[in-house]
Amino acid sequence: MLELTTRRHFFQTSASGVGAAALSGLLAGRSFADARAGAHFPSRARSVIYLHMVGAPSHLDLFAPKPKLAEMSGKLCPDEFFVGKRLAFIRKQPRLLGTPRKDEFGFRRCGGSDVEISNQLPNLQRVGDRLSMIHTLHTEQFNHAPAQLFLLTGFPRFGRPSIGSWLSYGLGSENRDLPDFVVLVTGQVLGAGNSAWGSGFLPTVHQGVEFRSSGDPVLFLSNPKGVDESSRRSVLDTVRKLNAAKLADVGDPEIATRIEQYELGYRMQTSVPELMDIASEPSDTLDLYGAKPGKASFANNCLLARRLVERGVRFVQLFDQGWDHHGSVFGNLPGKCRQVDRPIAALLEDLARRGLLDETLVVWSAEFGRTPMAQGTSGTGNDQRAGRDHHKEAYSVWLAGGGTKRGYVHGSTDELGYGVAEKGVSVHDLNATILHLLGIDHERLTFRYQGRQFRLTDVHGEVIHDLLA
Amino acid sequence: MKSPRPHRSFGRSASAIGTVLLTIVLTTRVESRESARVDFTRDVRPILSENCLPCHGPDREVRKARLRLDVEGEAKRRRGRRAPAITPKDRDASSLWLRVHTDDEDDVMPPRDSKLALTPAQIETLGRWIDQGAEYAEHWSFVRPKRSEVGPTEGAKIAPVDAFVRRKLADSKLEPSPRADRRTLLRRWSLDLTGVPPALDEIRSFLEDDSPFAHEKVIDRLLASPRFGARWARPWLDLARYADSNGFQADQLRDSWAYRDWLIDALNGDKPFDEFTIEQIAGDLLPASTIADRVATGFHRTVTCNVEAGVHPEANRVDQIVDRVNTTATVWLGLTLECSQCHDHKYDPLSMEDYYRFFAYFNNTPIEVSNPSGKGVQFNFYGPKMDLPLAPDVAARKRSLDAQIRELGERRSKILADRKSRSAWERRLLEDAGTPASWHVLEVSRFDASGGEISRPLEDGSVLVGGPIVPTTTYTIRTRAKLANVTAIRLDALTHDELPGKGPGRGDAKRTNFVLNRFIAELVRDTKKAPLEFRRASASFSQKSWPVANAIDGKPKTGWAIAPRFHEPHHAIFELEKPISIDAGAELVIRLVQDYGQGRTIGRVKLSARVGGGSAAPESIAKILRKKRPTRSKKERAQVEKHFAASNDEVRAIDKKRASLQKEIATIRPSTTLVMIEDEKPRETRVLMRGDYLRPQDKVAAGTPAILASAERHDERRRTRLDLAKWLVSPGNPLVARVTVNRWWAELFGRGIVTTLEDFGTQGAAPTHPELLDWLALEYVESGWSLRHVLRTIVSSDTYAQSSTLTADGTEIDPTNSLYARGPRFRMSAEMIRDNALAISGLLDETQRGPPVMPYQPPKIWRHVGRNGPTWNEAKDGRRFRRGVYVIFRRAAPYPSFVTFDAPDRSTCVVGRPRTNTPLQALALLNDPAYTEMAVALAVRVVQESGTADPDDRLRYAFESVLSRSPRAVEHGALKGLLFAQLEQLQSSPQTVAAIVDDKNRAYRVPKSVDRVEVAAWYFVASALLNLDETITKD
Repeated sequence: MLELTTRRHFFQTSASGVGAAALSGLLAGRSFADARAGAHFPSRARSVIYLHMVGAPSHLDLFAPKPKLAEMSGKLCPDEFFVGKRLAFIRKQPRLLGTPRKDEFGFRRCGGSDVEISNQLPNLQRVGDRLSMIHTLHTEQFNHAPAQLFLLTGFPRFGRPSIGSWLSYGLGSENRDLPDFVVLVTGQVLGAGNSAWGSGFLPTVHQGVEFRSSGDPVLFLSNPKGVDESSRRSVLDTVRKLNAAKLADVGDPEIATRIEQYELGYRMQTSVPELMDIASEPSDTLDLYGAKPGKASFANNCLLARRLVERGVRFVQLFDQGWDHHGSVFGNLPGKCRQVDRPIAALLEDLARRGLLDETLVVWSAEFGRTPMAQGTSGTGNDQRAGRDHHKEAYSVWLAGGGTKRGYVHGSTDELGYGVAEKGVSVHDLNATILHLLGIDHERLTFRYQGRQFRLTDVHGEVIHDLLA
Repeated sequence: MKSPRPHRSFGRSASAIGTVLLTIVLTTRVESRESARVDFTRDVRPILSENCLPCHGPDREVRKARLRLDVEGEAKRRRGRRAPAITPKDRDASSLWLRVHTDDEDDVMPPRDSKLALTPAQIETLGRWIDQGAEYAEHWSFVRPKRSEVGPTEGAKIAPVDAFVRRKLADSKLEPSPRADRRTLLRRWSLDLTGVPPALDEIRSFLEDDSPFAHEKVIDRLLASPRFGARWARPWLDLARYADSNGFQADQLRDSWAYRDWLIDALNGDKPFDEFTIEQIAGDLLPASTIADRVATGFHRTVTCNVEAGVHPEANRVDQIVDRVNTTATVWLGLTLECSQCHDHKYDPLSMEDYYRFFAYFNNTPIEVSNPSGKGVQFNFYGPKMDLPLAPDVAARKRSLDAQIRELGERRSKILADRKSRSAWERRLLEDAGTPASWHVLEVSRFDASGGEISRPLEDGSVLVGGPIVPTTTYTIRTRAKLANVTAIRLDALTHDELPGKGPGRGDAKRTNFVLNRFIAELVRDTKKAPLEFRRASASFSQKSWPVANAIDGKPKTGWAIAPRFHEPHHAIFELEKPISIDAGAELVIRLVQDYGQGRTIGRVKLSARVGGGSAAPESIAKILRKKRPTRSKKERAQVEKHFAASNDEVRAIDKKRASLQKEIATIRPSTTLVMIEDEKPRETRVLMRGDYLRPQDKVAAGTPAILASAERHDERRRTRLDLAKWLVSPGNPLVARVTVNRWWAELFGRGIVTTLEDFGTQGAAPTHPELLDWLALEYVESGWSLRHVLRTIVSSDTYAQSSTLTADGTEIDPTNSLYARGPRFRMSAEMIRDNALAISGLLDETQRGPPVMPYQPPKIWRHVGRNGPTWNEAKDGRRFRRGVYVIFRRAAPYPSFVTFDAPDRSTCVVGRPRTNTPLQALALLNDPAYTEMAVALAVRVVQESGTADPDDRLRYAFESVLSRSPRAVEHGALKGLLFAQLEQLQSSPQTVAAIVDDKNRAYRVPKSVDRVEVAAWYFVASALLNLDETITKD
C-alpha cells in the first residue's frame, strides 16, 4: 500500500484530509503554500529542462574530439575493446572509426573555455562557454529500453519512478494550473515507452504528463462537440452543487478534493491552450528558435519548454528520436544536428536573456554513447556506410545553467575515446548531481515501498561537486 | 542495494564504554522503568529493523563488528572482552543502550553519516525493553496463523468478523456506525461482487423482499453471477502483470488472452486456491495435465520480453526468471524476496542462497527471443505457445469442410478409376494428336477505346493505337471470323515506330510498360452473351509480381506487365476452358481492361485464335499413350492420369471445388496462448554475484527459503515448479492465506488489515487486527480455499454493512478508518468506473472471453518504435462497450483513461493500486468521447425507457439509474435547473443539437424515433450525473 503524501499539491492526492477546509479555501481563492517546502537546502535551480536525444548521438563526433582515433581510423581495434566485452550489434572484432578530417566535422573551442563542439553544431558553439561538459558518463546497459530506464529511473527494468516524478514528488509545482512534470516528444516515442516518465511506485500524480503536438495537447482537454463555454460551466456548477451536498452529508474529504480538481481541470482548459500557443511569441523569438506555430518540431518544443518553466513547471523533458546511427553515421548526423542545433542554442540564449538560465538547469543527455569502433562495414572512415554501435563505457553529456559551472569540462577518456581515463561519472552520480542542483539530497529523497526506503540513486551516487558553480 | 557507508565498529573496548557510562548514569534515570509493557513485535522490531539491521542484520556481507541484532542469541552473547549488546534487565550493561544513548558524536548509533537517527522516545523504548528482559519474538507472519477465541459477544448473535473489530473498537472512543440503508448496501454489494451497479428492477425486488434472508439471497445471487469473475479478475491480473504486449522497444502484441479467460472461469467456478495456485505455477507439470492446466501457466508467461535488436537472449531470460521469482514471492508469500537478489536481505531472514534456490525452480525454461535469420542481432518474440481448441461452431465448420473434401476425393478417385471412359479418352486423344493445332489471326471488325484513343488497323491484322494518351482505358475488340473448335486466344502486344519508345506500352518513352488488369472475352450470338472462361494463361514474359495469370483472375487491381523488358514485343496465350465455335451470326468480343494509370496501356494489339490442339495431348503424353499399358512406367502412368484429370470436366470441377474448400479450411487456424514448459535437460543454477548472470558463484539446488521451509527435504529427487506450487499452498507456508485474504479485505475496505499488502516481512506494517487476519486465513483454508466463502463472510458482516458517513469523532480519531467504525467508501478502480458508466448507460456488452478489444481512444496513443508496430483498430460495434477487463493492454501505452485513473502499465507485479484524485480525471469524464457516447446513450435511455414524459419523473429515473437512490430536493432542483436551461438554449440551436446527437464517430446511434432536442438536453444532465463523485465512488 502506498503512503500518500500530504503536501498540498497540484494534483492533490487522496486521503490527506483536505476536507471541507480545502473547499472553503478553494472558494476563497486561497493561495498555495510554498511549493518548495520539500527542498533540503537552498539552491539556484528551480526547474529542469531535460533534453534527451533518443537512440544516443555519436558523442565522439559532436563533443569529444579524438585526433588519435582519426589517425588510427580503419585499423582493427585493440583486443581489450572487444575481447570479453559484450556489445549490442558488433559480433566480430571491429575497426576503429575516426571523425572525418573535414571542415564540417572539425571542432571549435568555445569562447575561451575548454568546451569543444563540432562544427556540426555551429549555433551551440556560440553558447558553448555556458556548458558544463561531462565526458565520462558511464552506464550499465547497452540496449535502448533498459538503458533509458536505467538513466531515467536508476533501474534497468520497469517499475521505478522517473527522475521527473521524483522531483515532482520532492518539490511539487509552482503553478497550480499546470502539472509539475511535462513531457514533449518529437518523432517516435522511445523504447522504454511511457515508463520513461512514469511514476513507478510513487503516486501516479507524479508521472509526466505528455503535452502532445497534435490533437488535444493534454488528452481530453477540449470540450466535446456541441458543448460550449456556458453549457460546460452549467454542467460543472451542477456537479459542484451535488458534490457539495454530498460532502456536507457524508463528510468525506475526498469529495472536497474532487470539487477542487474539477475546477483545476476547468482552468487547464484555458491555461494549457494559451501555453501551447507559441504564435503569441514575437517573431524574433520564433526566428531565434526556428519555431513555426502549428508545426510539430523540436524547435517548437524547445520554445514550449521555456514557456513551461517560465510558468513554474518543475520538470520539462524533451525526447527527440532518431539518433541511433548504426549505419552512415556521418551521413545521418548533419540532418539531425540541423534539427536540434539552433533550437537548443536558442533555448539557452533565450533563458539567459530572460534571467531564467540561473534558475533553470538544462540537461542534454542520451541513454548511452556510441563506440569508437565502426559497425557493419570495413570502417575505413571513408566508408559512407560506417556506423557506430551502442557504447556504455564512457560518453559525453552536458549541463547548463541552474548553478552549474560555465565552460567547465569534467573528466576525460582515453585517447581513443573508449573508456574513462579520469573522473568517471555513473548514471547515479549524474542523477544525484541533478537533484543536488535542485536543492535535494539524493539520499534523503526517499519513498517507502515494499518495506524499504527507495530512492532514485538506489544506494549509490556521489554529487559531482566540481561541476557546481 | 549496496550497504550504507562503512562506519565505526559497534563493539568497542570495554574501557571506552566506561567513560561513556558515567555521563549516561548522570543524565538519565528520570523516566520510570516500571512503565507500560514493551511489545517486541509492535514496538521494538520496527526500530531495530529501520535503524540497526542494515549493518547488524541478516546481510553477512556488510555486517559490522560481527554483531547481529535480529537474532536473540547473537545479541545477548558476550563477545570476548566486550559487553554483550544486550544484557537483559540491565540497560547499563548493554552496549546497545550505551551506544544509542550517548551524545558522543563518534560513538553514537546509528552513526551520523548514515543519516538515520533515533528519537528520544525510540531510545527510551529500547531501554525499557531491555529493562523488562529484552524478550524477542519470532516475526508474527512467519508463525502459522492460529484461531483466537472470538470472545464474549454480548450474548447477541454477532459474527466473528464483527466481534474482532468491535473488540478493538471498544478501546477507542468510537462507536460502530449504523447499518447503511438497503439501497446503499445493494449498490455496495453489486459493485464489490460484480463490478456493476444494480439494475432498477433488482433494486425494486430487493426493496420488496421483506424475508429475513433477503440479504443472504442477494449476496448469493451476486456471488453466483458470471459478472463475478470479470470483477475479481482485475486485481489478480495486476498481480499477474497480465498484458497483451511484450513491453520494451517494439512492444508488439502477443496472444495470452486465453489465460485471462481461464482466470475468469476459475473465479466464477470458485476454484479452490490451492488448485488455482498449482495450475498457474505448474499446470504443465501435473500428471495428465489438461489444456486448461497448461493455459493457466500463462501466469508466468506474462513477463516482459525485450526483443530490441542487440539484446542478449540469456540476459533477457535471466531477467524474466528474476521477475517470476519476485512476483511469486510477492503474490504467495508477501515477501520482498527480490531484496536478496544481489545480497542477503537487509531486514528479513532471507539469504542470497534462498533467492537462488527459489530461482532454480524457474530456471529450466527456454530462451524466449529468437533470431530468425540465425545471424546478426535481430530478434523476435518467441517461446512456448500452445494451440487452443477451436470454438464449437468453428470446429463444426471444420469437420464439415473435412467431410466435403473427403467426399470429393472419393468421387474423384472413382472417376479416375473408371476404365471404360479412360480408354475412350485415350483413344480420342491419340486421334487428335495426329492433327496439330493451327493459329489464325482474328480480323478486327470494330475497335473501341474507352479513353477516346484513335485506332488504325495495320496490314498484319494488328491495331495501332494513337491519339490522346489517357491514364486508364479499356479496349473493346470485336471479330466475326468464322472458326470452329477454337481452343485458345492469343494476344500480341507489339512494338511500332510511332509509339513512344517504340512501345509496346504508350505512357512513357523510357519505361514502355503496360498493365493488363483483365482479359475478358464473350461470345455474342443475337442478343445472347456467353462469357468465356479461361483455364490458364501463359506469356512470353511476365514482370515479377505481375504474372499473366493476373489478367484472368477476375481481380481489378492485379494485372500482367512486362518491366523491365521494354521496347520489345510480348504475347500472352489464354487457354479456353472449353473449345468454342465462332459461326455465322456469332461475334467474339474481347475487352482489355487497363486501369493501372499513368498511360500504362498497350500501343499495338493483335489477336489470334488457335484451332484444335486444346484438349489434345502434348507430344510427351501422346508418346506414352502409344505404349501398351503394362509397359508404361509408374511415372508415365502418373503423367497420363494427371493429364486425364486436367482434361476431364467433372474432375476439374471437383478440383476447383476442393481447392476452394481447402482454402477455407486453411483459414481456420486455432488461436494460441503462451504457456510454461520445462526444459528436458535441467539447467544448473548458481548464485549470481550481485545478480549478474555473467558472474555465477556456488551451485544451488531448488528449495524454499530456510526460514519457511517445512521438514520435507530428505530425498534427492530434483525439485520442480510443481513442488514449489504445492509448497506454496501447504501448511509449511504460514503466509499465503494471510497474504491472500488481506488483499481481498483491502479490495473491499480500501485498506488492508496489514496495510503493506506487498510486505509481510519485518519491515512491513503490523496487522491492525491480527486475530481477525488469522481467523479469516484459517476460515479460508478450512473452507477448502474458497474465495466465495471468505467474501461472503466479509460482506455479510455488520462491519462491512455500516454506513460510511464520517462523524466528527471519526474524522478526528480515525481518519483512515483503520478501526472500521464506519463502512468503506472510496473511488472505484479505473476499469470499474468505465464498466459502471457503461452499465448505467445501457451500452455494456457482457460478452465473455476471446481476444482483447479496442474501444475508442484518441489517435496517436499507440506510436510504434522500430519494426512492425501494432495498430489500433477501433471496434465500431458492440465490442467497444465490453468490460474493461477485455480492453487490450499494451504496456508502452495502456488505455489512456485507465492510466488517468491509476491503472498500472502491467510491466511488473502490482499489489494494490494507488488512488489519486486529479484534474485529468475530471477532463476524462467530462470530455473523453467514450464518456460522451455513454452520456448520450443514457440520455436516450431516460427519454425512451423511463416510460414517462414528465421531467420530474424522468429525472428520478435517471438519478436512480446512476446512483441507485432517489434524488433529494436540492439535487433534484439543481439537475432540473440544468435540464430546463439547456432545453431552452437548444430549442433555438439545431446545430448544437446535431453536434451532440449525430456524431458519426460513435458506434452508438440515436434512434430516429426520439426527440433530438430532448436527447441533447438530457445529455447535459447525463454528463453531470456521470461526473458526480458519488458515481465513481463505491460507498
